[in-house]
Amino acid sequence: MRHNPRVAVTAFFAAVLLGVTACGGGSDSGGGGGGDTTPIKIGILADLTGPTSDVGRPYNEGMLGYVDWLNATGGVSGHKIEAMSNDYRYEVPAAEELYKKYVAEGAVAIQGWGTGDSEALRTKVASDKEPFMSASYAEVLTDPAASPYNFVVAPTYSDQMRVALNWIAKDSGGTAQVAVFHHDSPFGTAPVADGQKWIAEKGLGLGYTAYPMPKTPNFVGLLSQAQSQGAQYIVIQNSPSPAAQVAKDIKAQGLNMKIVCLNWCSDELFIKTADSTNAEGHIMIQPFAPPSANKAGHATISEYLKSKGATLEDKGLHYVQGWYTMDVMAKGLEKALNGGGELTGESIHAALESMDAVDTGGVVGTGEVKFSSSSHRGSTGSGIYQVRSGAMAEIAANQVP
Amino acid sequence: MATATGIYNRTYRAELALRHTRAEYARLILMFALLLAAPYLLDNYWLGITNSILIAVIGAVGLNILVGFTGQISLGQGGFLAVGAYASAILSGRAGLPVPVSVLLAVLLTAAVGAFFGLPALRLKGLYLAIATLASQEIIMFVVRRWEWLTEGAGYVEVARLNLFGWQVERETFEVQWYWILLGITVVAVLAARNLFRTALGRSFMAVRDQDIAAQAIGVNLTATKTTAFALSSGFVGLAGALQAHYTETVTWERFTLDVSVLYLAMIIVGGLGSIAGSVYGAIFMMLLPTLLTEVSESVQAGAPFLVEQLPAIKNAVFGMAIITFLILEPRGLNRIWSRMKDYVRFWPFRY
Repeated sequence: MRHNPRVAVTAFFAAVLLGVTACGGGSDSGGGGGGDTTPIKIGILADLTGPTSDVGRPYNEGMLGYVDWLNATGGVSGHKIEAMSNDYRYEVPAAEELYKKYVAEGAVAIQGWGTGDSEALRTKVASDKEPFMSASYAEVLTDPAASPYNFVVAPTYSDQMRVALNWIAKDSGGTAQVAVFHHDSPFGTAPVADGQKWIAEKGLGLGYTAYPMPKTPNFVGLLSQAQSQGAQYIVIQNSPSPAAQVAKDIKAQGLNMKIVCLNWCSDELFIKTADSTNAEGHIMIQPFAPPSANKAGHATISEYLKSKGATLEDKGLHYVQGWYTMDVMAKGLEKALNGGGELTGESIHAALESMDAVDTGGVVGTGEVKFSSSSHRGSTGSGIYQVRSGAMAEIAANQVP
Repeated sequence: MATATGIYNRTYRAELALRHTRAEYARLILMFALLLAAPYLLDNYWLGITNSILIAVIGAVGLNILVGFTGQISLGQGGFLAVGAYASAILSGRAGLPVPVSVLLAVLLTAAVGAFFGLPALRLKGLYLAIATLASQEIIMFVVRRWEWLTEGAGYVEVARLNLFGWQVERETFEVQWYWILLGITVVAVLAARNLFRTALGRSFMAVRDQDIAAQAIGVNLTATKTTAFALSSGFVGLAGALQAHYTETVTWERFTLDVSVLYLAMIIVGGLGSIAGSVYGAIFMMLLPTLLTEVSESVQAGAPFLVEQLPAIKNAVFGMAIITFLILEPRGLNRIWSRMKDYVRFWPFRY
């Protein structure tokens, strides 16, 4: 038998390359759908294993839970929602790659997660006309002139910071030192400058210094910096696990400091991780009502979870957050479909801007989420809670800066 | 010409030829055909990945010039990418320069910054140099994160959609248009690097790598050579950074962390140190690995949900395994595996 090496080499190379390229052929990009019942594809970027996964997981479960519940109860005007959910580990390049994948697979809208990736994708979603909601409540995302296709359901981090500073000014009588401990990322720094401006603008008379949180197992060093600043209040913009460590360190060091958590560390997980004696007395700014507040909007979720053999108390506040973010999106899809015509990014965008306020049963902000063509700030009210004997006790509702 | 037991050159001209066998020409033609056909065969998603690979190829080639060919270990890749990206984004966005000019200036600036951070290489070798370049990575990261005027306080820089003298990249054809631009630039960059090592300068790089004292003894100017190697390598890396800035349209520091430096080192280790073709193979391999794992996870999502839970961990493990496997089994990387496969068929049925 004669063996021809050149042919063999060429054939092998061709086979390998064809194998690689063949992977790309398959997927077709089906649109949203018209009068039929084709499923509506929505891409979800989730942080299931990254640095914010402690809150990313329940949020993602909430979204998927809502989709499951909605599909079981008839979907959006007869269309089921097909949620494509993937972990992006809180890495911007991974988010971009997944985003491209979703667009190629025909997603009509995207549910994102972090501030870094939402800001990085901001111009892309605008030029691709993909309505984009995320769990990032950075101020820049609410301005339709700067971010036309981003929709923010909850009060922004800056609004939460303003509420926090107002409360601190009132609680301290006016002349306290505030230390801001923030995650070292776009998410963490989002409200920092706006807080400083707010103090100057309103003449609150508070001292204000920001500290990025290092990746250390404890924050004793950071706390001693805050102590030399004379800080009595520590505003934390981070996820619950590091915030709980700060609470533990404050207790262990015997410091007289009060933590004021913005929404991402204001939850049951903070109390559980820090343990209720360490968490006692700290303050939380949270636009989403925790399950313990028992608002009307919690009933549906509770029922759904019961049918699945779980409880809302176990799933916690971020489950509710994911649920209602998807709910607002679904209301937009419904309006876009009922308006006739095709379901496209543009029609969803128009529907979200023009639809009536979405009633969330008192769960989100002041209870209602409403967008307009001049503002994509869905709501402005946050609740203020205090940790009392291991639970979130409401001390003020619907605080607007 | 290839005979049954190897390649024997009978003339000096033949020895200098870029390609020695007809199979290599066949491969070249096949590759060109595939590259030309790619935009018609691939959908936008895969074309987007191809574009990322093309940018990574330029960066990997640049790093290989420094690490593989000159023997100067660098952990500063991410930082140099950042210099290129920020420079081009700011020059085109705020100073209003045309994109080709801003990219060119970004390349020159990165080369200058690279040469500057390469100065410790005149005194340090091996691991000590690696730590010095690690410092450059951290310094550049610090600068792009903390100097607020760079991003005007926003933390990121937005880049306008590419417009070349009135020719605008469109949304619908975004990936395809970018593919042609990136393909052209990448081919030129790879050819330039390939030819570099047929020049006296390129050979002096390799002389420094093999034994720097001996190189000095035969008249190679160590100072000039090492600094030039850093500048040239950083120039390529700056080009990759600048292209990435215009292609992704947002520049954030998160894309240039130490992880990225390690990823690029992994590319050239897996591909083959001291080989231009290896840099290309390595970039393709390392960029496709996470994507293919995502595909696998999606296809098993229904059948084995427990696997999906573990997938991110598996991804990290596969990443580490790939590097370790290559270091143990074939330290010279994919390029060496490819040439061994060629030798196998070329010498068949003999061993050598």
